[in-house]
Amino acid sequence: MSSAIKIDNLYRYFGPLQAVNGVSFEIPHGSVCGFVGANGAGKTTTMRILATLDYPTLGTAEVCGINVVHHPAEVRRLIGWMPDHFGNYENMTVIEYLDFYARALGYKGKERRERIQEVMEFTDLVPLAERFSNKLSKGNTQRLGLGRALLHDPQVLVMDEPAAGLDPKARVELKHLIRVLAKEGKTIFISSHILSELGEMCDSLLFINNGRIVHHGDAESLKRGSDLLGGVLYDVQVDGSAQAVSDWCVLQPNVEFLESRKHGGRIRIDTEDPAKAADVLARMVKDGLRIVEFHREQRNLEDAFIDILGRLDSGQQAITPPPPLPGTVPAPLPTVEN
Amino acid sequence: MSSTINDFSDRLSPMLVKELRQGLRARTFIAVFLSLQIFLGLVLLSAGASATSDRAGSVISGIIFLFFSLAVLVVQPLRGVGALSTEIKGGTIDMMVLTRLSAWRIVVGKWVAIIGQSALLLSTIIPYLILRYFFGGMNLFGEIMLLGLIFITSMALTAFTVGLSGSSSVVLRAILPLMGTPVLMWSILMLTFSRGEFDDLISFCSLEDPDARIVIGCYIAAAVYLGWSMLSLGASLIAPAAENHSTLRRLIALALILMLVALGIFDQVEDSVMALLVLLVATPAIATAITESAPLVPTSCVPFIRRGPLGKLAGFILYPGWPAGVLFSLLIFALGIFAMLSGPLLHGNNFEEDVMLVVFSLYGGLLFPGVLVVFFRSGESQRVANYLLLLIATGVFALVITGVAEAMSNRDFLWLFIWNPFVFIPMSEMGRFGDDELLVASIIVDLILCAALLGRAIIGMRAQGEVLRQAEEIVDSGPLNLPG
Repeated sequence: MSSAIKIDNLYRYFGPLQAVNGVSFEIPHGSVCGFVGANGAGKTTTMRILATLDYPTLGTAEVCGINVVHHPAEVRRLIGWMPDHFGNYENMTVIEYLDFYARALGYKGKERRERIQEVMEFTDLVPLAERFSNKLSKGNTQRLGLGRALLHDPQVLVMDEPAAGLDPKARVELKHLIRVLAKEGKTIFISSHILSELGEMCDSLLFINNGRIVHHGDAESLKRGSDLLGGVLYDVQVDGSAQAVSDWCVLQPNVEFLESRKHGGRIRIDTEDPAKAADVLARMVKDGLRIVEFHREQRNLEDAFIDILGRLDSGQQAITPPPPLPGTVPAPLPTVEN
Repeated sequence: MSSTINDFSDRLSPMLVKELRQGLRARTFIAVFLSLQIFLGLVLLSAGASATSDRAGSVISGIIFLFFSLAVLVVQPLRGVGALSTEIKGGTIDMMVLTRLSAWRIVVGKWVAIIGQSALLLSTIIPYLILRYFFGGMNLFGEIMLLGLIFITSMALTAFTVGLSGSSSVVLRAILPLMGTPVLMWSILMLTFSRGEFDDLISFCSLEDPDARIVIGCYIAAAVYLGWSMLSLGASLIAPAAENHSTLRRLIALALILMLVALGIFDQVEDSVMALLVLLVATPAIATAITESAPLVPTSCVPFIRRGPLGKLAGFILYPGWPAGVLFSLLIFALGIFAMLSGPLLHGNNFEEDVMLVVFSLYGGLLFPGVLVVFFRSGESQRVANYLLLLIATGVFALVITGVAEAMSNRDFLWLFIWNPFVFIPMSEMGRFGDDELLVASIIVDLILCAALLGRAIIGMRAQGEVLRQAEEIVDSGPLNLPG
């Protein structure tokens, strides 16, 4: 079966500016994929091409196996688009706003009214039905935008920075709605600057930088991934003083003591191979350290992103493993080739 | 809940429903509408009381037409200036084009909403016209026809502003109304306050003169064509790449110019009238075709490729985008000239050099900014705006340079500026240069401009080879199987 979203060697140039530069990835049906990158990295351009609002200079983009350039009208029936910013109309209530789009999507009579009711209930907009749409708070505006994008019950939802500018409560509500949609089996492609939030709700994360995909994997693999130089951090607790761990590390070639803690410390092992970490642990035990705890530290996603960008800056190339299918074992850790 | 969204029938266009819901709540329109009523009523009463009995009716007619004209020829079209740009600025246009609404329906919906409000203003004039009838001396048919013509002009002007409101250029959207409004206001004031001219106009509109019927018929046809062209341009400006509005626009222009060629061959139209008609058809056709920023995408080429070799050949002038647009413009140029020359060539009519000179100058004037846009702004998304601004600039430049030449008493100096073909018109008016030498010079300049455009268009077309290959792939792959 084809992927929900498939992008192959996509380029988009605006004159001399290379907004998207050979992007390729696939997102399976029913998964939630986060799209991460700095401003101007190419996120919005890629999303607009998927939504048939822009066209690629080269390469192909498909939604549910349908080419977005060849069959834009068919793609529009399958896709719900929520842009990062959209204005609402003056002198138009929430229900009239949804009614306009429902009419524009071809719904008529009872079916139109029922569809609007369903969407308003899902997005909790019923109490705001008679409020003017341009007087809503940012959070409610985003809910209205989501409601509009869901009116035609799309299979794929593309959301560009939906959480931008939302207060914490509105973010939690939005996250909840996205989770519910994911459970319903919709494929969601969402961009955001807030990596921690994406990590919680996404099955996979795509990192884009200067128009290129620099990583494609799940959040867990990133948190457990290596740092800029390929090392991994471990927390070591011993029955004794931290000094013992520090002293032991001085004599080891691939292990660095970073920071003292109450009964141990943080160490950095110069490899991300779990077998080598097991060797280090075995040597510690053999050398008489009474190990109480030895576990790999999880980095936050921001650090992981910065590390990936750092690798690129230092001339290394990030390899992008295929995305994991929902409910399957996480994808392998990203590796680096010199 | 349902009561609030059942106020309009499903049969009405969604755009119209939206615009009416918003428009009917807009306090500004209600305020303007009521103010106009009160003001008209007061002016009518005071004018009726102060005017002598034989002139009262004419004075009242003038006042009614003055206010109605200002409202529907100035105020209402100005409301169209922001029609599409506010949607683009607010980011709502993208969401609209993702629905089943085509760009054309969006533009027409905006236009109809403003026209609907103009119609409301027209309906409010009727009670005053009934009152005016009792003052006597009324040419009922003439006044009703004039009202109708003003309304049609309002429709065309509103289409003009709505169409241009799709341009992202703030300068263009500001300059055209700024230039047009004073001209229109001055014209309206001159017509309504100059008693003789206003009476002549009403008499002309009563259609007693057979020529008046032809002139008014042509005027209505021209207003419809120009208005439609501008709405179509607006649709092109906001449409996604896969939506093709260019081909229909070009086909209609081609059909009209071929009709003029036929009229020329059968010698049915005077040369000066033919020149006017050719320019009326060619101006919007060339201006829109030469400046099309829409990229050529495979979907737009598919219908042509499906029609075999003939379709592919037609595509070279009918594909969206400026390269095919340039070839189309050159064809329209050639056909227009042929329509003009068919009288002298086939029927031995007098060759009117002065008329031909004006046509070649104006044609050249249309092509010159096109050359600048095609060569120096090829990657710009504001082709239409740049073109129109350059067109205005070259026109103004021709006037200024003529003034300078006259002030310097050195009219030969104007030969230095014939690269701007508009200059030929004032040169001809001066009487210093022979029409024949000016005509030859204008033809040479036009041919150079055509050659430059043709060369650039061929390069542009060659770059589209990959798109055509993809379109052939789509045709070969057969119909699409939709999921689920």
